[in-house]
Amino acid sequence: MEIKILEKDVNHIRFLIKGVETPIVNALRRIMIAEVPTMAIEDVVIIENSSPMKDETLAHRLGLIPLKTDLDSYILPAICSCQSDLGCNKCSVTFTLDAETTDSPRTVYSKELKSDDLEIVPYSGDIPLLKLASGQKVRLEAYAKLGRGTTHAKWQPVSACTYRHSPTVRIDIEKCDLCEKCIKSCTKQILKKENKKIVLVNSDICDLCEECIKSCPTEGIQINKQVYIFKIESVGSLTPERIVIEAVKILNTKLDTIISQVSSFKKEKTV
Amino acid sequence: MMIPIRCFSCGALISNKWEKFARRVKNGEIPKKVLDELDVRRYCCRRMILSNVDIVEEVLKYHEEAQKRRQNR
Repeated sequence: MEIKILEKDVNHIRFLIKGVETPIVNALRRIMIAEVPTMAIEDVVIIENSSPMKDETLAHRLGLIPLKTDLDSYILPAICSCQSDLGCNKCSVTFTLDAETTDSPRTVYSKELKSDDLEIVPYSGDIPLLKLASGQKVRLEAYAKLGRGTTHAKWQPVSACTYRHSPTVRIDIEKCDLCEKCIKSCTKQILKKENKKIVLVNSDICDLCEECIKSCPTEGIQINKQVYIFKIESVGSLTPERIVIEAVKILNTKLDTIISQVSSFKKEKTV
Repeated sequence: MMIPIRCFSCGALISNKWEKFARRVKNGEIPKKVLDELDVRRYCCRRMILSNVDIVEEVLKYHEEAQKRRQNR
């Protein structure tokens, strides 16, 4: 297996994977969407709310805020020894919001949420949460917990997470007899004849329909299907690299459980 | 009522870009250009911002008026 990073910035990553089958790449994709844990606000205790926004709408908005997550110092509430509703300091972070305005209307932003843990803060401080008219007040306590995308999409670490086959059409010069049948058959017109050679132009738009392979009478065209371009866009809670690493770890533990269960089944049968 | 925190379809964070967008478009810039510069790439996220109307502004007027009357009483 070979991995090459094509593009990378704070929240995006695009890389090439060579030499693996589709099921593995797809398993990675599905784990990234549904099983890599992140932190999100789960319980909200509203002490006072005189704003025009309803309590439940506000709580829902709070839940959707992406929080910068520290996976090493927190554990999932399901495996935490406390087993309490609002969690302990191993499995939850408390946020408080205390906002009021006396003379003019104003917007309350996510940066006004005060966190217990300075590492766990909203990814962006400029998220408008609610608006207050003069004399109105909001006071609340919110509890953030680790969770998985399977439970609720607010715990999803990625927004766009896709892969596609990389178009790697190879033309064998020795076998090619320049009949130009492949050029005519290509639906995207990415094949061209240049200097007595068939060459690829603008190969990015190739959708791997394989019409060129079917049309070639001399088997001079090959497509390598085991090359994928993976594109991941993080919501901001984890870095895209971390998401991939966590996904691989989860896939590994899943495979380990399969191996151990199958081997125990074998033993039972022999007994 | 207010701009949703995340995109309905893909889940990307969009609400932190709304105020910049609204301000710039109000000053006469072309929405397409502003969205491109704010790095809103997919059409699902673009429609979230493009089609949003902040109705709280209307609701707030009533709350403001009520507060004024309360003070004058």
